[in-house]
Amino acid sequence: MADAVTAGAPFTVLGSWRGESVKMGDVLDAMEGLRRGEQRTATRTSVLSLVIVASDAADARRAAEAVRGLGGRHPARCVLVVTEDSGSEAEPRLCDAEVELVSAQVDGRIVWWEEVTLTVTGAIAQHLDSLIEPLTLPDLPVVVWCAGVMPAPSDPLLRSADTVLVDSKQVGDVDAFPAIVELSRRHTVVDLSWARLEPWRELLAGLFEGRHFRPFVAGVHHVSVAGKEGPRHLLAGWLASRLKLSRNVFHLEDARHVSLLLRASGPGGEPNAEFAVERREGERIVRAWASVEGGPSHRDVLPLPDDSLPWSLADALTHLVYDRTYQQALGGALTFVVPPAPDK
Amino acid sequence: MTDAELPSNPLMEGLETERRAPPCILVVFGASGDLTSRKLMPALARLADNRQLPAAFAVVGVARTELSDDDFRQRMLQAVEKPSAAWENLVSGFRYVAGDYGNPETFQQLKRVLDEVDQERGTGGNRVYYLATIPSVFAEVADALANAGLNRPKDEASFVRIVVEKPYGRDLTSALELDAGMHQAFSESQIYRIDHYLGKETVQNVLALRFANAIYEPIWNRRYVDSVQITVAESLGVGHRGGFYETAGALRDIVQNHVLQVLALTVMEPPATIDAKGIRDEKVKALRAVDLLSTDEVATEVVRAQYDAGWVEGEPVVGYREEEGVDPNSQTETYVAMRLRVDNWRWAGVPFYIRTGKRLPKRYTEVAMRFHDVPHLPFGPKEARGLGPNALVLRIQPDEGITLRFGAKVPGQAFRVRSVSMDFSYGAAFLEETPEAYERLLLDAMIGDPTLFIRTDEVEQAWRIVDPILTAFAEGTPPLARYQAGAWGPREADLLLERDGRTWRTP
Repeated sequence: MADAVTAGAPFTVLGSWRGESVKMGDVLDAMEGLRRGEQRTATRTSVLSLVIVASDAADARRAAEAVRGLGGRHPARCVLVVTEDSGSEAEPRLCDAEVELVSAQVDGRIVWWEEVTLTVTGAIAQHLDSLIEPLTLPDLPVVVWCAGVMPAPSDPLLRSADTVLVDSKQVGDVDAFPAIVELSRRHTVVDLSWARLEPWRELLAGLFEGRHFRPFVAGVHHVSVAGKEGPRHLLAGWLASRLKLSRNVFHLEDARHVSLLLRASGPGGEPNAEFAVERREGERIVRAWASVEGGPSHRDVLPLPDDSLPWSLADALTHLVYDRTYQQALGGALTFVVPPAPDK
Repeated sequence: MTDAELPSNPLMEGLETERRAPPCILVVFGASGDLTSRKLMPALARLADNRQLPAAFAVVGVARTELSDDDFRQRMLQAVEKPSAAWENLVSGFRYVAGDYGNPETFQQLKRVLDEVDQERGTGGNRVYYLATIPSVFAEVADALANAGLNRPKDEASFVRIVVEKPYGRDLTSALELDAGMHQAFSESQIYRIDHYLGKETVQNVLALRFANAIYEPIWNRRYVDSVQITVAESLGVGHRGGFYETAGALRDIVQNHVLQVLALTVMEPPATIDAKGIRDEKVKALRAVDLLSTDEVATEVVRAQYDAGWVEGEPVVGYREEEGVDPNSQTETYVAMRLRVDNWRWAGVPFYIRTGKRLPKRYTEVAMRFHDVPHLPFGPKEARGLGPNALVLRIQPDEGITLRFGAKVPGQAFRVRSVSMDFSYGAAFLEETPEAYERLLLDAMIGDPTLFIRTDEVEQAWRIVDPILTAFAEGTPPLARYQAGAWGPREADLLLERDGRTWRTP
């Protein structure tokens, strides 16, 4: 878990530049000019280029705040692209740009990074790869995050991406699962919703680590998963795939917060045990407990960050690799998605 | 069902807690002491917050101080600045045993408590004993654990380990005696001798830098390296540890362990594998290659000194002899500088300058490699006025990173060259917060990874290097020099390098 990055360090804008109807060469010159004029940016250490594509101002703002909420622990060049309209070939091709040098103090060190915001209209929106390629840092991974929209696997923008970030919760929950499966066939996909569920998964998995409780992991016979559509399906898919459970031992229900309850029997006629992970209303902690009938019990708690987006983004950016467990959970989740009844 | 028969936990797959302690009880001797509160508990709290401790985990504290379980829990809770819910939850299960280490009943009571915790928490008989006590009771505790039958695992699937804090002996003889005592109770594979310096991320990064990059290793030898300087500087004085420091001195306190470990990592040959045996074998070979100094050589190759009153970091500070618990006529060194030779194929002829001291201008640790000058400089003296030798500096603390110094043209019409530094900071490059040294080492001990702990032959080799110097010090060789607190050491240390045509770096 990326708990270390949840507290956003205060940041300072060291310098900025704005241009209308610009070319990417102008943006690169502006970045160089800003760096040269600012002594505090004498050294730069970057680990990736982060490209965020948002289709409206609200998504863009949310994404930009999340990047700054990382607290400067992500020395990355961040390119935020806002596509303001449908991007038809008939409309005038315009690209306005804003560049900011931002710094934050992290553990006594000054870290700085570049934020480029491109607002595009017209046909450029169909050729974002041509905008992004000149702006990515050489030799470093490129992460593309389509905020609020599910990218098509064939989107040319993704050609330059080493990893594609999606947030299944934002792009349609269970409706987006088939598209994510499709996208995963061609790209490494990291789902922010999955990252947000990590505390629940960690706590539940941890409950089975003690020798008193481990034997029950092979004897789970009932699973209740509550939560919103999407997260509850992912968790159910995860449990079904990891524990090789059939769908009929699951009970899924709608709820504001995620909770899990597993009932299991031990081998050789041992008593039953219950394992639960839950977040209660009004709390920002996840509670877990395990209890063997007439036997030992255990409790655990895990605090949640105030804002889950920067935290899940930080977590996702730390693990930019193919996640087999997620893919299997996603496959399992699809089996819990009841197809809509046909129109009469 | 034995541990070996337990099913695997498929829910752990894919989670980022791959370095997670197995079920166990951490038994801390010296549980009411400073080290436990200041280092061990904050480290455990971070492990708890990072989900690296299992549900089946507990701490049992042992000390002479009379405390109840609740008193102990309260103390341990307060040892952490901002206790999280996870820490509060963990501490609520802590237990405490009060008793004298010389009294067998203490260990019988400990045995009862450990059995109870095993039953309650499912810790499976796994134990990690941590000796956070004064060194004089290490062997006594080990012996008492053996007498109580607490030194051996209960079956093949469980483990019993013992973590021993430094100092490990006062000299070669006492270290060997301590080892003999420890080995009567525990096998070598059970003993984890801690040097918290090895737990520092950047010390481990010396290995990553050297052996994960093709560009450094080819120049990491006498052909390219002119000299190496290792600096371990502290701005603090002895504080309340004056009594202890009087019996130790800088040579025992820092050089014998921290400095020689850093030196070993710097000069060792590439191991075949980055595992405990691979690394420790190479470190022992490296230490074995360090030339022993004769008494005559100690007089010329070693400087020892003590600080007088001065100013450090804007504050007036007293001299060492005025510190609490220090003999007003003390001859204990608070500063040591020396020139060592590493006589092997790679390093023959390269001087290793080492210095460490208290009340120096700032807290700073680095390994600096100065490279040879170019064979021919095609510029005139005027053009190359600002050009110094190439240097590669591994900064270990506080600002962990790497600096490479090289020559670059000064912009302008004239062709002038001067040295510039290319700076890399670990903190600015990596998202993850690096684990504190004790956090890393505690987890390693629980997991059973001894790579970053000191093996018995390493201890022996380190004392072999230090022993002749200690003997010379005891005979008053070299004379104790003096330096003002806040300076980078005595004039004698500067002369040590000046006679070789070199100077100390100013960190």
